[in-house]
Amino acid sequence: MPRTSLFRTSSFRLAAIYLALFTVSVLILGTVVYFVVWREIAGEIDADIQGETSTLAREFAAHGRDRLKAIVESRSRGGGSFVYGLEDAEGRLVAGELAAKPGELGWTSLREPERGDEADGDPSVVVRALVARLDDGGVLVVGDEWRGARGAPRTVVTAFLWALAGTLGLGTLGGLILSSQVLRRIDAMSRAARGIVAGDWRQRIPATGANDELAQLARTFNRMFDRIESLLEAHKNVGGNIAHDLRRPLARALHRLEAARGGSATPKDAELAVEAAIADIHGVLETFNAILRIGQIEAGARRAGFKPVDLAAVAREVVEAFQPAADEEGKTLVADLSAALPLSGDRELLTQMVANLIDNALRHTPRNTRIVVASAHPPGAGRLTVSDNGPGVPPAEFGRIFERFYRLDAARATPGDGLGLSLVAAIAELHGMACAASDNRPGLSIVLETPAQAGLRE
Amino acid sequence: MKILIVEDDEDSAAFLAEGIAARGHEASVARNGRDGLLMATGEPRYDVVVVDRMLPQLDGLSLVKAMRSADVSTPALFLTNLSGIDDRVEGLEAGGDDYLVKPFAFTELMARLTALARRPVLGAEPTVLNVLDLEMDLIRRTVRRGGQPIDLQPREFQLLEFLMRSEGRVLTRSMLLEKVWDFHFDTRTNIVETHISRLRAKVDRGQAVPLIQTLRGAGYSLRAPN
Repeated sequence: MPRTSLFRTSSFRLAAIYLALFTVSVLILGTVVYFVVWREIAGEIDADIQGETSTLAREFAAHGRDRLKAIVESRSRGGGSFVYGLEDAEGRLVAGELAAKPGELGWTSLREPERGDEADGDPSVVVRALVARLDDGGVLVVGDEWRGARGAPRTVVTAFLWALAGTLGLGTLGGLILSSQVLRRIDAMSRAARGIVAGDWRQRIPATGANDELAQLARTFNRMFDRIESLLEAHKNVGGNIAHDLRRPLARALHRLEAARGGSATPKDAELAVEAAIADIHGVLETFNAILRIGQIEAGARRAGFKPVDLAAVAREVVEAFQPAADEEGKTLVADLSAALPLSGDRELLTQMVANLIDNALRHTPRNTRIVVASAHPPGAGRLTVSDNGPGVPPAEFGRIFERFYRLDAARATPGDGLGLSLVAAIAELHGMACAASDNRPGLSIVLETPAQAGLRE
Repeated sequence: MKILIVEDDEDSAAFLAEGIAARGHEASVARNGRDGLLMATGEPRYDVVVVDRMLPQLDGLSLVKAMRSADVSTPALFLTNLSGIDDRVEGLEAGGDDYLVKPFAFTELMARLTALARRPVLGAEPTVLNVLDLEMDLIRRTVRRGGQPIDLQPREFQLLEFLMRSEGRVLTRSMLLEKVWDFHFDTRTNIVETHISRLRAKVDRGQAVPLIQTLRGAGYSLRAPN
């Protein structure tokens, strides 16, 4: 499987899209600011030119052409921001350096020639100018080189270009970091999944400590892997176990029938042998039925018909049914079921679950054993316990007794198919109950934790 | 009893028909659902119908549903290969009266068919049951044998009531488990046997005529011995 490229991750794409949008908005903002600043400055310059022109016109009106000529000449030399031109009635430039285009009056753009000190080397500079006619037929031109005006918008543009560069740089970096982080976590997930595909069922996605969508996804995946692993474990040896467990009764039936066919058998013997063989085969079929039933329960279709049930009430009825049998076997069966265990479930299956637990306790314990079926309410949940003070189960086997066909060595001699507790586990799982074995000191205790049922509690 | 068997598998149908005939009953076989429906709704009526769940042309559930909508109340027993836990409920909802998973012991089938065929007519609900000198008052919930009161636990009462209502008929372990305890599964521990022996101790102990009979390999029956 190819490693996901950083630039092809969805988070990087997302970052790139946002980056592009942001860039465009920075550009638009820059343009708007540029024009606003430009207009503002141009307005101020026009007002300045207008003011200067009015001042000069007043001087002309008050003192005449020569006075005006002197002022223009002195101001032109003075190095102020304005440039001037004064033409006589014939259109000859008599003072200053800015020549108007013939016949043009009012606001205009003019070329100011040969200013050697221009930094950019452009010999002619465009100048904003106001051309006014004087009373004697001459023309007064006042222009502004826009030195200040050129500077301000340029500063704006520069600032925005820097901002744009920063945006692009930070955005790209952020996108890379973000997507490489996401990528690393996704790679961890796909590594775990690949490991599982390759057969290493212990692979899990490492926890990051975060609690975001990816962490939730990772946890969901891990739970799925747990479930797959437990199912796989449970099914791993089932085929072999079925063959092993069913071969014995079938072989026994075969021997019985062969013996019955043999010449030495009396009709009475033959009849007994056939009966015993039928019983053997019935046992085999029972086992098959139990396997099918477990499979069906595990498939979970039954959940659709769930109704509110009190598990403690179910257990009470089952205990009552088993009471005489327990007495007969010299065992004490005690119910301590005053705490109700309301849950949503299938009454018939829950009945079978409790029956199997009691069945199991009765079958694997000696006389004088005390079996207690108890319900309790630890905070937040309910608990049903079936415990005995019999020989118990080695703690190492606690997890295995719920496996299909698993039987303790000590239990090999007692009749049973090793499916009773598997059925219990399947029914418990269907109802969302946790099912575990523990040491009752002495004896075995099977504990079923019912899920918290808000709204169903008393 | 006149029994209709609707079963497509030739061997199974023959096995059933022969077994039923050997026990002195009359068996007819239909090999698909449509024939089965025609025979079940035609005249004369059968005492009980045995229907396989999976049939060609018309499946067992639909057959029984169609039978019921045609107002044929002949009791129906479903047979199935599926050990489906939902199937029993489905079958009963479709109008079936009982349910048996293959393979089954023939005694089990016959006991159930007999129970179905002789179901009491609705409306004629007795308030007192009598078998020989055993008397059960269903209203007062009391039991007497030869005039002497017998003290029974509620479950023992239920068990005895079922036995008395089925007087003379064989009730198998699983029939008792289903009817008395509502257990639709078998247990390793012999629940029925121990309850019967307790009941027997109360009902038959010290009596000249034992009423509760154990039929080896078949089940139990309440009747005066022949």
